[in-house]
Amino acid sequence: MEALKAFKFTRKNSVVDKLDPRTRFFVTLLLAALSLLTLEVKRQLLLLVLVFIISIIAKRFSLLIKGLKGVVPIAVLIFLLNWITELSQGFATPLAMTLRFLVLTSSFSLFFLTTPPDDLALALEQMHVPRDYSLLVTMSFRFVPTLAQDVQLVLDALRSRGLEVEKGKLRDRVKNYVYLMVPLVVFEVRRSLMIAEALEARGFGARVKPSRMVTLKFAKRDAIALALILGFTAIFLSMK
Amino acid sequence: MSEVIRVEDLYFEYTEGVQVLKGINLSIRAGEFIAIMGENGAGKTTLIKHFNGVLKPIRGRVLLKGKDTRHLSVAEASKIVGLVFQNPDHQLFNETVYDEVAFALRNFGYPEDIIERRVEWALKLMELYKYKDRSPYTLSVGERKRLAIAAVLAYDPEVLVLDEPTAGQDYVQKEKISETLNLLRTLGKTIVIVTHDVEFVVEHVNRIVLMSSGRIIASGPPLELFRNPALLREARLLPPQAVRFSRFLTSRGVPIKDCFNIDACVQELLGGLRGGS
Amino acid sequence: MLVELEGVYYRYPDSSDWVLKNINFKAGEGEFILILGPSGCGKSTLARVLNGLIPNFYGGLLDGKINIVGNDPRKVPTYEMSRHVGFVFQNPENQLFFTNVEREVAFGLENLGYPPDEIRRRVLKVLEEYDLMELREKSPFELSGGQQQKVALASVMALEPRVLILDEPTANLDPLSALKVLGLVKKKTLESKLATLVIEHRLEIVLPFAERVVVMAEGEIVYDGDPLGALERYGYLTGKPFIIRLIERLEKEGIQLKAKSLSPEDVAASLLDILERGVTRVGGN
Repeated sequence: MEALKAFKFTRKNSVVDKLDPRTRFFVTLLLAALSLLTLEVKRQLLLLVLVFIISIIAKRFSLLIKGLKGVVPIAVLIFLLNWITELSQGFATPLAMTLRFLVLTSSFSLFFLTTPPDDLALALEQMHVPRDYSLLVTMSFRFVPTLAQDVQLVLDALRSRGLEVEKGKLRDRVKNYVYLMVPLVVFEVRRSLMIAEALEARGFGARVKPSRMVTLKFAKRDAIALALILGFTAIFLSMK
Repeated sequence: MSEVIRVEDLYFEYTEGVQVLKGINLSIRAGEFIAIMGENGAGKTTLIKHFNGVLKPIRGRVLLKGKDTRHLSVAEASKIVGLVFQNPDHQLFNETVYDEVAFALRNFGYPEDIIERRVEWALKLMELYKYKDRSPYTLSVGERKRLAIAAVLAYDPEVLVLDEPTAGQDYVQKEKISETLNLLRTLGKTIVIVTHDVEFVVEHVNRIVLMSSGRIIASGPPLELFRNPALLREARLLPPQAVRFSRFLTSRGVPIKDCFNIDACVQELLGGLRGGS
Repeated sequence: MLVELEGVYYRYPDSSDWVLKNINFKAGEGEFILILGPSGCGKSTLARVLNGLIPNFYGGLLDGKINIVGNDPRKVPTYEMSRHVGFVFQNPENQLFFTNVEREVAFGLENLGYPPDEIRRRVLKVLEEYDLMELREKSPFELSGGQQQKVALASVMALEPRVLILDEPTANLDPLSALKVLGLVKKKTLESKLATLVIEHRLEIVLPFAERVVVMAEGEIVYDGDPLGALERYGYLTGKPFIIRLIERLEKEGIQLKAKSLSPEDVAASLLDILERGVTRVGGN
């Protein structure tokens, strides 16, 4: 649960926030690609340090670290699995794999920490993704916390009736999840019906091309950021 | 009257650093009918979740008949305090009305013959016995609310806590809930409700506990609190109509205590003014 | 007249029971109409006929003469009706789709394909009118229930409808917030000459704003007229707030109040006025 906080947008004022979301998206994908294309420890480390530097500029360093702490168990698991399967090869490859995992997680985390869901939708739409799909993205962000609250409500109600969903043998726990699911599914289906009504009452589904009040425009700082990252890429790929 | 719930210096936070309850002290005696009121976000629902052990204090303690909730499982706490949540649809887990009411008893490990007796009793009390083999989702909204109450009544807790029992209900449904609560009182239950409904409270309740921003800002009989407009505003409540009416008259030089008894009030007004002018 | 319904009947698909029976109803500019009735009486169904959700979303059989701002919902899809009829639902959570107030307010206009300049103009206007400028970048999670309903209202009003419907808009709000929201609706009704229909159970809060009350029972309109008359006749269905019982009691003493509204203060003022002028007849009627 704590790890999810690393993907939640918080409003801050930094140079990174002022960039076009498409620029941020591009940088994220580029870093991920670089991480996937190479495997040496020093290269992964360099990428990770770069992500950290960007997060410091974006004033999100501590949030990022808190989030990464949440995935440490997975990172350790990746290290161990890679180490055990190739014991003769030593530490270098498992370490590189672990670092790669951290680079991927932290670069996407940084993207979501600095990008409000609506900006992401806007970016997608301007990349010609149909409106319905970008709406799917925004509404997911919007309703996931609400759903999480409903889950907690039902869990509390179950506990009040003597059922501890998270305790007991595995077989019992699976059975208990059915008790959680029944009211939850009914409730959320009802909720989605009400949302559908409200959407229709707000003109959704009109047979016209939907417009957009805001359009994204590249600025000088985006060009500078892109130049910097491409420069970095060139240096990175030519390293020995 | 013996004390049934005691809250001592209770502090609680859901996320680190954000205190939702700040030093709550409260004592509820057997047989009382208490209303907890206050703005949304004041901490009312968080507080009542401590009454049956769903939440445990971060600081301070909650005693149920002398027992600390931190040493009780929710099952054990529920034998003393039964919690009925606001939305019945969050609390319906079973295929039949009968199973729904038996659910808690089965989880608590009661033998089947006792369960049968208790379920029958609770269903008949809530006038739902005829639906016992139906699915809970085929019941009307009002009936589902009564079912949620029946499911909690079945394990016969001494205290019943209901979160917003009258919210969103029409007049006829509200009257039914009134009846139900009065019935429970005659059975000797202690009742705690969380509500915004001042008119309902004035009619039924011994004592109001007013909350704002995680603290109790006042506690006392309804009439006492409802005559204090500043206090009510802080809790985002409107005074009952009878109080607003008499306050207006008083401010225009016609002193009238309050007008809850309409006949007496009208006599006083007409008698006094006819005689005076 | 903005709304004209004549001899309207409705039943849901696969059902043989009429949920609306012989509805005759008119609503004009500047009217704030309160619709009362027990659960299941058809008020929410009637509301949905007015914005086209019935029959477009729910199907079923809708019969009778219907004219809503020049439109018939049987001939016009819901999205088209939304230009003329705004609908605010009970639960703010289910009608706020974005994590950004400004986007929420713009959403309806975007769906209908308005040009960006026009959207920007209307959004700014509505944010100012509803005092939401400071909250424009907030997400609904950061707003109180009252603020959320204000955003829902503003989002609907950005489409500049002539008819406004609110289906139990204050169910999840504390009394003071409820009063604020309804007060705002009343103000806008008068300013923009809307026909406003409000479905509400919390009589103590909503009565002072309504100059006309419609009572429904079992699919029919059983009363359409002044609030006092409605509650005196149908109080057993709708409940009778203290102030109504007081007025009835005073009428027994021969006192006819002419209160500005059905708020306790206005009723008290009217009573004082009458008594001070010595208009009482001793001994009742």
